[in-house]
Amino acid sequence: MSDPANDFIRDYQTLARQSWDAWARQLQQPPAAHPFAPAAAQAQASAGNDALERTLAGLKGYFEWMQGAAAGGVGAPSSDWRQQLQQLFGGASQPLAQAFSGIDGAGAEGFTRQWQAWMQAAQQPGVFGDLAGSHGASPAFGLNREQQMLQQDMLSAVTESLQASARYQALIQRANAQGMERLQDKLAEHAEPGRQIDSLKALYDLWVDAAEEAYAEIALTEEFREVYGAMVNTQMRVRQLQQRQTEQLCQQLGVPTRSEVSSLGERLQALRRELRAGNAAAAKDHTDDIASLQRELAALRQRLAASKPAAAGAVPTQPRRSTVKKSVAKPKPRPIAAKKSLTEATPAAARKSAAGKAAVVSRTRTPTVAPAKPRKRK
Amino acid sequence: MYTPLRIDPAKALGDIAAFQRKLAAGMGHLRGMREPEYANTPRELVYSEDKLKVWHFTGHATPTSKTPLLIVYALVNTVWMTDLQADRSMVRNLLEQGEDVYLIDWGYPDGADRWLTLDDYINGYLDRCVDAVRQRHRLDAINLLGICQGGAFSLCYSALHPGKVKNLITMVTPVDFHTPDNMLSHWCRNLDVDRFVDTMGNIPAGLMNYVYLTLKPVRLNQQKYIGMVDILDNPIELENFLRMERWIFDSPDQAGEAFRQFIKDFYQGNKLVKGTLEIGGRPVDLGALTVPVLNIFAEQDHLVPPDASRALGKHLGSSDYTQLAFKGGHIGIYVSGRAQREVPPAIHQWLRARD
Repeated sequence: MSDPANDFIRDYQTLARQSWDAWARQLQQPPAAHPFAPAAAQAQASAGNDALERTLAGLKGYFEWMQGAAAGGVGAPSSDWRQQLQQLFGGASQPLAQAFSGIDGAGAEGFTRQWQAWMQAAQQPGVFGDLAGSHGASPAFGLNREQQMLQQDMLSAVTESLQASARYQALIQRANAQGMERLQDKLAEHAEPGRQIDSLKALYDLWVDAAEEAYAEIALTEEFREVYGAMVNTQMRVRQLQQRQTEQLCQQLGVPTRSEVSSLGERLQALRRELRAGNAAAAKDHTDDIASLQRELAALRQRLAASKPAAAGAVPTQPRRSTVKKSVAKPKPRPIAAKKSLTEATPAAARKSAAGKAAVVSRTRTPTVAPAKPRKRK
Repeated sequence: MYTPLRIDPAKALGDIAAFQRKLAAGMGHLRGMREPEYANTPRELVYSEDKLKVWHFTGHATPTSKTPLLIVYALVNTVWMTDLQADRSMVRNLLEQGEDVYLIDWGYPDGADRWLTLDDYINGYLDRCVDAVRQRHRLDAINLLGICQGGAFSLCYSALHPGKVKNLITMVTPVDFHTPDNMLSHWCRNLDVDRFVDTMGNIPAGLMNYVYLTLKPVRLNQQKYIGMVDILDNPIELENFLRMERWIFDSPDQAGEAFRQFIKDFYQGNKLVKGTLEIGGRPVDLGALTVPVLNIFAEQDHLVPPDASRALGKHLGSSDYTQLAFKGGHIGIYVSGRAQREVPPAIHQWLRARD
């Protein structure tokens, strides 16, 4: 037998979902293709879509939660509100998990997802070969010993990383559960006329407060600190091994590797430091020389002045001052920055840099510093 | 016994419908919107080196202050938080007060900057920027305003080059990195930063943003966007929202070596307050820092807890130390209406008394 009230809610939900999907599709629709659009612009559009998807994921989670709440008859006078809260904020659809999954954007590509994909790929015969040690570590030997060892290390590292990630996820789940308890406590404070929660938005906001408080408390524990460190460290271990494998492949193909480029960068930076230090030392020496010569000049002037009365009666021949002039070079003041030889990226390189591409140090120049100009009064 | 929930089902359905209507109506606004611009207060380039630029802001009035003020921003995020939009611009406000304002824009590091160290940043780049401003004004010393990590840099610089800094202002600057409420520091403590940097090279901005979002995951990743739905029909509010989004996510990568040192020495070692910090082989002693210092922090700062900044007063050698607590957060201290009314005037008055 049909229930008109429930049928109405069901129909409404269907309509609402269709409406959501329609506008989400429209919003995500890329702008009209421009045949001459530069690749950079397309990449930017892609990044924009990523941000949009993240936003939509958050909004959709909230939207579905509202629908679930309405359909579940939350807040109906006869209902068991504690049980309703469990249904709304617990289980697989709990919003805290959604909030975390929504953060995984292109910038911080879901590491776990990446490695799970790698594991699946690595275990397929013919892709990376039948991995030695996939059934546990075993001694490696022979011509392919190093490769086997690397593969074993990789498997072990991925396993450790997944375990650490699982521990982290368990803490997030615990934060969610404790958030629920806090929400119940907070709601209990509203169990009197005039203070009751009368909208889904108010209920959601109260839950956010409770969830964030519970999360912050757990995130500041020693356990979280240890688990967080382990998660990051084990992820980095996997990445290191992935990089090593990639480098081996690149070496075989004659492609410059990241280590080589990085090593060059390190040497270049060291050279730049030495150059600057050398210039600074030279400038300092020069300053010392000038100061020394100035002192000498002052002393000579004093001596000259002192000798004048004695020489006053003598027949003037050639002035002694000319001797002084010859021996002392007049110091030329130099602008501070002009002492240093600096490199500067061109505007084009700066634009490249802004677009996230590697910029090349383009040229060396001596920077000039423009004198300050007084500004006009209003 | 009453139930705490009194949600009328019809009202709930109405709320859902309203939410959808707002989304649908806002869709047109979103699709038609261009990338919001920052305030772009008129400025001139006075010094550049590698990717770094020093900008001089050219206000309409002659500065009344005799000593220029150089803003030293953090390496994370872009410097344009200080000049976000016309009516929320700390730079513009400082100009209006009569300050002569310069700003270091660190740029976007790439692979070529991977090996830049804190020594390169503080005793290299920053020192040359200070020299450039000093030379322009023919002054021995100028005023520094360090923001967040840039504040920590400014403290180090002032301790290492005392003759070049006349007055120092630090804003939302972490000094004691081991206060119990410092979540970022807590998470860093067990990090194998050597392995991290050796693996990642430069630290991607996206990864940094991920970490910041996970400090308050629900609020920053969901609730904020639900709030956005309410302003979708208001083009001005929406533009402000999107401008802030641009600033948050358009952020530079971190040079690997400098990041390694900063995490090790500041976040893990807490060497700035322990007195064991060395930059470029030279000890940094806050106790020897005697220039006047104005320390401004935000009372609701979740990135740099107030106690992390307050600690400066205990470790500073200067007898002229002023502390200003702002009612707001790490970002609100630059862009909120209250900030516009309170912070730049306070900075100007403090500097004026010491000009």
